Amino acid sequence: MLQVIEPGPLLTIQDAGRPGLGRLGVPRSGACDAWGLGVANLLVGAAPGSAALEITFGGCVLEALEATAVGLGGADLGAERDDGRRLAPWSAHRIPAGARIRFAGAVRGMRAYVALAGGIAIGTWMGSASTFAVGRLGFEDGRPLGPGDRLVARRPGDLDAVGGTWPSRLAPHPAERTGPLGIVSGPDLDAAPDDALAGLASATWRVSTSSDRMGLRLDGPSLGPGREIVSHPLVPGAVQLPADGRPIVMLMDGPTIGGYPVLGVVPTVDLPRLGQLRPGDEIGFRAETPEAARGRLRAQQAAFDRGAAALRADAVWVRLAAGACG
Amino acid sequence: MAERIGIGRARVEPFGDAALLVVLGERVDPAVNDRVHRLAFGLDVRAARLPGLGATVPAYASVLVPFDPSVLAEAAVRGVIADVLRADVGAGAAKQPAAAPEPATTADIRPVTHVPVRYGGADGPDLAEVAVRTGLSEDDVVRLHAGAEYRVFCVGFVPGFPYLGMLPEELALPRRSTPRLHVPAGSVAIAGRQTGIYPSDTPGGWHVIGRTDLSVWDPNRDPPALLEPGARVRFVPA
Repeated sequence: MLQVIEPGPLLTIQDAGRPGLGRLGVPRSGACDAWGLGVANLLVGAAPGSAALEITFGGCVLEALEATAVGLGGADLGAERDDGRRLAPWSAHRIPAGARIRFAGAVRGMRAYVALAGGIAIGTWMGSASTFAVGRLGFEDGRPLGPGDRLVARRPGDLDAVGGTWPSRLAPHPAERTGPLGIVSGPDLDAAPDDALAGLASATWRVSTSSDRMGLRLDGPSLGPGREIVSHPLVPGAVQLPADGRPIVMLMDGPTIGGYPVLGVVPTVDLPRLGQLRPGDEIGFRAETPEAARGRLRAQQAAFDRGAAALRADAVWVRLAAGACG
Repeated sequence: MAERIGIGRARVEPFGDAALLVVLGERVDPAVNDRVHRLAFGLDVRAARLPGLGATVPAYASVLVPFDPSVLAEAAVRGVIADVLRADVGAGAAKQPAAAPEPATTADIRPVTHVPVRYGGADGPDLAEVAVRTGLSEDDVVRLHAGAEYRVFCVGFVPGFPYLGMLPEELALPRRSTPRLHVPAGSVAIAGRQTGIYPSDTPGGWHVIGRTDLSVWDPNRDPPALLEPGARVRFVPA
């Protein structure tokens, strides 16, 4: 069992989200970095889409009220024990009773995931444990976690659930990829200034500080004002051009319908990268066909599956070795 | 990039790698919105038995069709859309001649939800300004707003927010130049030819003319949304 001592800027529970409710205005929500969530969960023997903690940027402190196995995925937020010993990212750790985990601050990326053995034991709201405050969905009417909140593992006694370290060389995090993000041409280029998509792809953009789980605002050259359109649905990754000419990239809690032109959509394969961008990070875009983006997604899924298989094989080996010794 | 599929003036556009957007028109129009909901319904029926096809998101004049590209090819999704559009055009043609002034709608069989509203005062801080800008009395604004029957064109932006139309033309105003930072839940507001009810406390740029005690969004209720796409609504001065 973990207890929140300090939540940091935003601490929520997220899982694979609640797709399929867009007709009621309910966004998909779920982890901004599905890869990081999956890694954290697999490390402690939970299904990849299980509920875990999403920690934003740093400043978070958690205390183990009893010996607890945790899996760390997503960003490297400088996790350390209260005695200053570093807790390696993308690894499982056994935290003794009374010890604390401190996320000192972002080393790489924006959002870290902390998974518990078998997943965090929590109910679901409209099919998901994910917190979405505006819809009052998730833990206690969708409020973020705060000091004193406690999180219980589904299998609290399972301290050896899987353990080990994610094979990052075999299955590197999608955010390790540098270069521009893909963008699939959108449906509203008629309502945007000429060459707005080309402008998006040729400029370097800086992630604004007014970014959150709803969307990333991008600072850079104005692409000219987007004209209001008859509002149509949005998805995570959609790049809207509002009247001020500065693009906004929708994230997991973004609105389900919007009235600004969509220049293009960042494909599924690059969503984990989007979820790990920090204010101040520089990014670019490169036009891509849906088919090419799907090809990259298949390769990404295959890499994740290879990583998961290697992790399982390691765990079997560790258990066999432990059995032989004991 | 756009592909004309020839039947019923639909345009099917890629929307990223895992969704298609079917555009059925370019304006806010009840007849177009009827087709939106028929298409969405037809596709959702298919989705229930076709692995990889996701639940649709209907808007004013378009339908988002999400799919899992690792299960279903884009061409197969386009095929299903074309099938449903073809069936829809057939059903529509049988039901309503093109010249019918008041086309039968799928929504018409639904009961009307009556929404009691306290107009003006602290509940409707923009009523006086709306009256001045439209050249009407406050009573006339209320009479016009409560006199029309509305349809839920779509639900979105935030959970449960119903986009209702058509607001009588006499009341049509552009949005506030400066959005309010805090619009309380239950606020009834207007903008353009639309009216809506804020489901939760959010910022908002529409003109707030009243407030209802009905809960528009309650995640602990089944169904959580008071008003679903296609529903019919009347406002009643409380």
